[in-house]
Amino acid sequence: MQWFDGLVQGVLLGGLYAQYALGMALMFGVMRIVNVTHGDLMILLALVGISMAARFGLGPWSVLVILVALGAAIGLVLQRVILNRVVGSDPLPSLIATFGLSIALQNAMLEIWSADTRSLDGGAIAQASFQVGPMFVGVLPVIVLVTATVLTGGLDTAVRYTRFGRALRAAAADVDAAAMTGINPKSVYAAATAIAVAILGFAAVFQSVRATVSPADGPFQLIYAFEAVIIGGMGSIWGAFLGAMVLGVSQSVGFRINPGFGVLAGHLVFLIVLAVRPQGILGKE
Amino acid sequence: MNAPLLSTHGLVARYDDFQALYGVDFDISFGEVVALIGANGAGKSTLLKSIMGLLRVAPEMVRLDGRPVGGAKPYTMVASGVAIVPEGRRLFTGMTVEDNLRVAVDHARSRGSWTLEKIFSLFPILKEKQFVPVQLLSGGQQQMVAIGRALLNQPRLLLCDEISLGLAPKVVREIYQSIESIARSGTAIVLVEQDVGLAQSASGRLYCMLEGRITLTGRSLDIQRAAIGEAYFGAPRAVV
Repeated sequence: MQWFDGLVQGVLLGGLYAQYALGMALMFGVMRIVNVTHGDLMILLALVGISMAARFGLGPWSVLVILVALGAAIGLVLQRVILNRVVGSDPLPSLIATFGLSIALQNAMLEIWSADTRSLDGGAIAQASFQVGPMFVGVLPVIVLVTATVLTGGLDTAVRYTRFGRALRAAAADVDAAAMTGINPKSVYAAATAIAVAILGFAAVFQSVRATVSPADGPFQLIYAFEAVIIGGMGSIWGAFLGAMVLGVSQSVGFRINPGFGVLAGHLVFLIVLAVRPQGILGKE
Repeated sequence: MNAPLLSTHGLVARYDDFQALYGVDFDISFGEVVALIGANGAGKSTLLKSIMGLLRVAPEMVRLDGRPVGGAKPYTMVASGVAIVPEGRRLFTGMTVEDNLRVAVDHARSRGSWTLEKIFSLFPILKEKQFVPVQLLSGGQQQMVAIGRALLNQPRLLLCDEISLGLAPKVVREIYQSIESIARSGTAIVLVEQDVGLAQSASGRLYCMLEGRITLTGRSLDIQRAAIGEAYFGAPRAVV
């Protein structure tokens, strides 16, 4: 029974990881841009949200709306000011530029918010749960999972079937050929990065209602996001969702084997996938 | 004579330290088919790239409808009615034939009569391969996708860079038949071609380039092979 509970809790945890991973799937998986600030931006959004909630007495849903809009704006600026300068077939320049930015962001956040852990008051919903047979399931994790599923479906549809999605895939395949076919690659990339960081707005709210955040947490979310995208398969949006589920379940089951083993179990499963199926679950070739 | 649709004036272009074009004067009018011949490295592709905005050139060096457009971004050139079938096709790998074509539809100039159906009737094989990823197509089929993609941008001027390169003679004939019917629809076409005979028969006028300069120009049928040989190689030589 505790294993089944572990599985269910793992899938619910995977819902949160999927929200970390979706933006990464778009930027790293499709555009091949390595954005090391991914986790730090989520933490930044969370801290801004927590401060605003405290200052203006906002509930979590109002904070969510603000953070998604703020995330989109940050994404646009990030792409316009930094990533468009280093975009190309080589992922190394984007890695170096965002690595530096990541360290600067962490230190700036430490300066502003100190190293304390903080969280967002989610009201009654944060503690609510319902009983399924002998198991208790939290309402909030279910909301997180449903949100993640809807976001994944929406993003996947956008990438596959819309004008924007085709332009993005075309630019990722051959940026010059895309420009010769009428696409402005910089605008398309800016829109994609805006979407990627806007999704972090969801992750930021749910992470800080469900648990805590502090300025140095970003690298952990970054690793989970990377792992989910690679486990699922580069370029596949639903793959990143599945990868997040695999990671969540591995951690949750690992935690039930030994409370210290949870996070490590996730990393081990990642390494096993890398060794056995390097293209990922839904990856091609 | 009409005012040219597109013209270049003393066009100079360079790749970093290497100068590739030395003052090229070129023009093409509405509905014309103009061939651009020359050996490897003569600057034919560079000329197309400069027109298309892929290389940095001064604004006055390229004029479209008489307006300076040199150095404009490729996507603004597409919006003003110039499309290119690039050297090596440059299709969007991993995407289906239909998605490759739809990208062009999505970003086409506002006016124009090309539709997916028209492309499929020009190249019936593409209808069969509609949902196949482009990298699985044969070279000739890929070239058809590249031409279809450029046409769906609804160009007034179509630039074709070595569209016969590496294709079987039968496929080359098929491709050039499509070029004829595209020209009949009123689109101006620049054909960069290494096959001199093919270039002469498919075009109304012809330019020959050598080492970054135009060395010969005239009506395709009037030009003697010996003159082409000299313009092509820089010395009197026979062209087969």
